[in-house]
Formats: sequence, C-alpha cells, structure tokens
Amino acid sequence: MNEDGSLVRLENIHKWFGNNHVLKGVDFSVYEGNVVAIIGPSGSGKSTLLRTINLLEEPTEGRVLFGGDEITDIRTNVNKVRTHIGIVFQSYNLFPHKNVADNITLALRKVLNMDQKGAEERARDELAHVGLAEKADAYPAQLSGGQQQRVAIARALAMRPKLMLFDEVTSALDPELVKEVLDAMRRLVDEGMTMVVVTHEMGFAREVGTRLLFMDQGKIVEDGDPRAIFADPQDERTKAFLAHVL
Amino acid sequence: MSQTIDKPPVTSGPTAPLPLGIFSAGIVALALVLGGVFFTQFLWASQDRELSAACSERMTASLPGEEPQLLKGGRAVCHIVDALKSDTQAGLLIAGMVVGAVAIVAGFGLYKRMPNKRQRNQSIAGAVLGIQSIVAGSLILLFRSGDVLVFIRNFLNLTFLEGSLDGFIRGAKNTVILAFSGELLGIAIGLSLAMLMISKHRTVRAPAIAYINFFRGTPLIWQLSFFGFLFLLGFQWRDAVFQQAILIFGMNMGAYSAEVFRAGIQSVEKGQTEAARSLGLTYLQSMGYVIVPQAVRRVIPPLMNEFVILIKDTSLIFVLGLLATEYDIFTFSRTFFSESRNSTVFIGTAAAYLAITLPLIWLVNRVERRLRSGLIGVAG
Repeated sequence: MNEDGSLVRLENIHKWFGNNHVLKGVDFSVYEGNVVAIIGPSGSGKSTLLRTINLLEEPTEGRVLFGGDEITDIRTNVNKVRTHIGIVFQSYNLFPHKNVADNITLALRKVLNMDQKGAEERARDELAHVGLAEKADAYPAQLSGGQQQRVAIARALAMRPKLMLFDEVTSALDPELVKEVLDAMRRLVDEGMTMVVVTHEMGFAREVGTRLLFMDQGKIVEDGDPRAIFADPQDERTKAFLAHVL
Repeated sequence: MSQTIDKPPVTSGPTAPLPLGIFSAGIVALALVLGGVFFTQFLWASQDRELSAACSERMTASLPGEEPQLLKGGRAVCHIVDALKSDTQAGLLIAGMVVGAVAIVAGFGLYKRMPNKRQRNQSIAGAVLGIQSIVAGSLILLFRSGDVLVFIRNFLNLTFLEGSLDGFIRGAKNTVILAFSGELLGIAIGLSLAMLMISKHRTVRAPAIAYINFFRGTPLIWQLSFFGFLFLLGFQWRDAVFQQAILIFGMNMGAYSAEVFRAGIQSVEKGQTEAARSLGLTYLQSMGYVIVPQAVRRVIPPLMNEFVILIKDTSLIFVLGLLATEYDIFTFSRTFFSESRNSTVFIGTAAAYLAITLPLIWLVNRVERRLRSGLIGVAG
C-alpha cells in the first residue's frame, strides 16, 4: 500500500519519444477495487500512460509507486513487480509456438517456480474461467481473435495479479467477437479485480467503470464518476470528444 | 459421415486442334534439337561405327619404332566427335529450328485470337518452346562448327573417369562432414554473437561487430591459410588439418550466421518480448523461451542456404594439404587430375557436388514454402 492508501501512484509523469512529448505531467492514483477507464482521442497518451504502470515504458521524468515501493527506482526488481501486474494487449501477443496451456504455464513454472502439475491445474482453472477449457491443446493460430484474447486474459490472471491493465483489448477484434471479451472482463469486475482499462468502448466504460479518465494531449483532462462525466462533461475538449464518439 | 469437398469450377475452357498443334510443334522442335543430340550420340556409340579418318588420325600417337596406337579412350572420343559433326546431326538441328520457327510465328501471331485461357496458354507455351529450341540449336551449331575434338578429348573422355568412383564417394563423405561440422559450429558461434549484437550496451556489441566484420571482410581462403599456419606453427597443433579446417569454417560461418540470427530475432514482433517481460520473465528467460525459439524457425531456410554455400566453399581446404583419406571432393579431383592429366574428372566433380546440393536446394524450397504457409511452421 502506498502512503496515500493507493495501490498504484503516478507522480508527475513525463514521457518523451525523441522530441515528441507524449505525457506532460500526469498525476494519478489507483485504489484497490477501482475500475478505471481511460478514454481520449488517439495520440492522447492513454496507452503510454497504461504501459508506464508496469514500466513497459520507462517515464522520462516522474515516479511510479506500486504497493509502497518506488518501482521507477533503478534498484527495484522490476520482474518481481510485474508478476503482480497483469496486462492484456490489443494484439493478444500469445506465444505462437506454444499451445494454449503452455502459454499460461510458462511464467507459472519459470517465474513463480510452480511444478508442472500445479501449473497445469491452474492453467485449466483459468481457461475454464474464460470458457475455453477445451482449447488447452490448441495453438493460438487455430483460435479466433476473441478466443485468443480470452486466453491472453487467462494467462495474465493465472499469475494472480493485484492489478490488471487492459490496452484497447477489443480494438483488433471483429464486432461479433467483442462481446465475449467484454463479458470476460465484466466477470473480473464482479470479482472485485482492480483494473485500468484503456478503451474505445464507451458503453463498457460507462457501465462497469468506477472511475473515468479523459486524456488529451498528454494530460488528464477529467477524472471522475463515469456517469457524471458522460452526462455532464466539464471541459470543452471532453465535450467535443464525447459529442464526436457518442 | 462422408464429406464432399467443393472444388472451384475449371474456367480455363477446352482446348482446340490449332493451339494444341502449336504447342506440339514447340515440343517437337525442342525434342529434335536436344533429343537429336542424344539420338545421334546413341547411334554412333551403339553401332560402334567406323571412325572418321580426320579424327582417328588426330587421336593416334606413333612413338618411334612402334606401331601407331589409338590414344586412351580414342574410340569413344571419336564417336562423340563424329556423331556431332555428322550430317544427321546437322539435319536434326536444322529441322528442329525450322519447326521451332513455325511454332514461334504461329504461337505469337495467334495467341490473342484464342477464345479461352487454356488455348492462349498453349499457344504461348508453343512459341516459347520454339524460342528455346532455336537458342539451343544455334548454340549447338556454333559449338560443332569449331574444333570440338580438343575439348572433347580433354573434358568428355569418360574413359579417364575409371577408378575414380571410390575417391568421389569418400570425397563426398568428407565434404559433407566438413560442411556439416562447420555449420554446426557456425550456428553455435552465430547465435552467441547475435545475442551480443542485440544488446543495448555498446561495449557488449563492439567485439561482436569487430568479429563479424573481420570474418565477413576477409576471403575464406585467406582465413584458411592464416589460421591454418597459426594453429600449426603458432600453437604447434600438428596432424589435425581436418579438425583445424572445421574450426575455421565454423568461425567463418559464425560471422554470417550471426547476421542471420540477429535478423531473425529482430523479426519477432516486439509484442512478444513485451508479453513475456510483463509476465515477469527476465530478459534472458524471454529470449530463451519466447524469442529465440520463434527466431530459429524463421532462420532455418537462410541457414540451410548457408550450408549449401559452405558445401561448395569447403573446396578451398586444398590450400591446407590433407591426408589422402581426408580428401574432400575438390582436393580428390585435383589429385586425380594431376595423375591422369585429363580434365574429364572435373565433370565428375560437378556431378558429385550437385548430387549433394540439389537435394538440399529442393529441401530448402520445401521448408520455405511450409514456413510461409503459416500454421504448420508456426505451431509445429
């Protein structure tokens, strides 16, 4: 737990890609049980912000605190921190040379040092959880996009993380496959998982989010209750964006 | 439960006498030109025809005080020469080229008027075969117009191949051992160098880059000579030329394989590393369990191509001086040549290399196709 009672705390985060200033001083905290939806126009820095939380992007400036530790400190064992933070990507990123079960058990065995049997059991459990128990022996290329994304969710959950990050996980999916992935995420919300979700699914953000962040040009413009923001956005840019996408 | 598989309809349409005739003319033209050569050769050899005076005279040696004698392989050589120079041969060539010309004119003149794809393709194929028969026919005509005897006596005097088979087989075995061992060592060195090459630390990359540039920038024959002498004189490592050669081939291949592996590793999507590292795997774990296994599949075809190149490059080992039992194909051929004083052995050399490389080339193409077709290569 961080000093302010949050699970994750970002302090004055700046990120430069070359001469491109992508994040311009972001401060925010995620508390246990929060379901934070981040929306905003493309290029606003949503994904970069999300990826900063597990240090896939190292902030150029600023601090990231997780469970009381400053993980931006170069002496922190990032590998250890990452076992507590699950992430699901837009492009699934399953390991194509491993079958579904091995995709899940790899980190369980090599990182958590579970034995083969225990790892396989947990993989089966997690697969059953996302409704893919029968696909354990399939290779990713044999699955639909929706199924692959659910495997990716199961793979992340098998590590029993304290926090789950979702990076536009339905953006690459055909429309008819979006629902099965959103359903899997809804179940997670019901179970009380702490989540940060970058999304274009406004309905999902409004329905299940306990907090909504609107980002534009590398800054958080609005932060509050999703229903309140959707009903009555305060900032001009939020108004314009919502008018455009809704 | 039986399942019927729907097949797409055939839309190329039926053929017709005219395009079929053009296509046949092309086939006949090429058969007359190429088949004609084999036919006349077979005729002269099988009937053991009387040797022409012009040829037998030049293939006969008369030492002072002895009966004039036909040189070794003289009969066979003269049969080849006589058949090639015969009117029969000339007639077949010209007939073939005339038919070929007809196929070209008809095929190219009429293909646009053909009513369907199959007939159009047959017309074009006939014309193309006609072109091939004219090109081949002209080259053979040109060749037979010269003094073919000298060439055939030196390069197609198959009598001089007698007794070379065992040597070729042993040479082929040694060539394969040299190339295969060198390639294995090269893969080990190459993969290690590639791991250094992709480091973000310049101090780690620098020695790998220096090694690779050196071995890619100097000729293999120089490396064999220099390191051969270094091992022998510098390290006093004697009686192990074969092993030293494998080491040098491996060092050389390592430089090329490193580039192949580096490209392979970098071709694996960035998302794979991100997914692996996000699960808490260390850099080395994500390389070992996720990235390299995928990269290795992708680099199999280029590595096999390198293997084919190395098979041919092992011929440079002759600069080191091998024991007779260690001879590779090329060293054996050189030795055999210096004893027989006839170049026909080098035809055998090419055949021996092709016997090894052609199946490999076929295999590379197959593997490449399989990998490209996706699922099997990725999942397998």
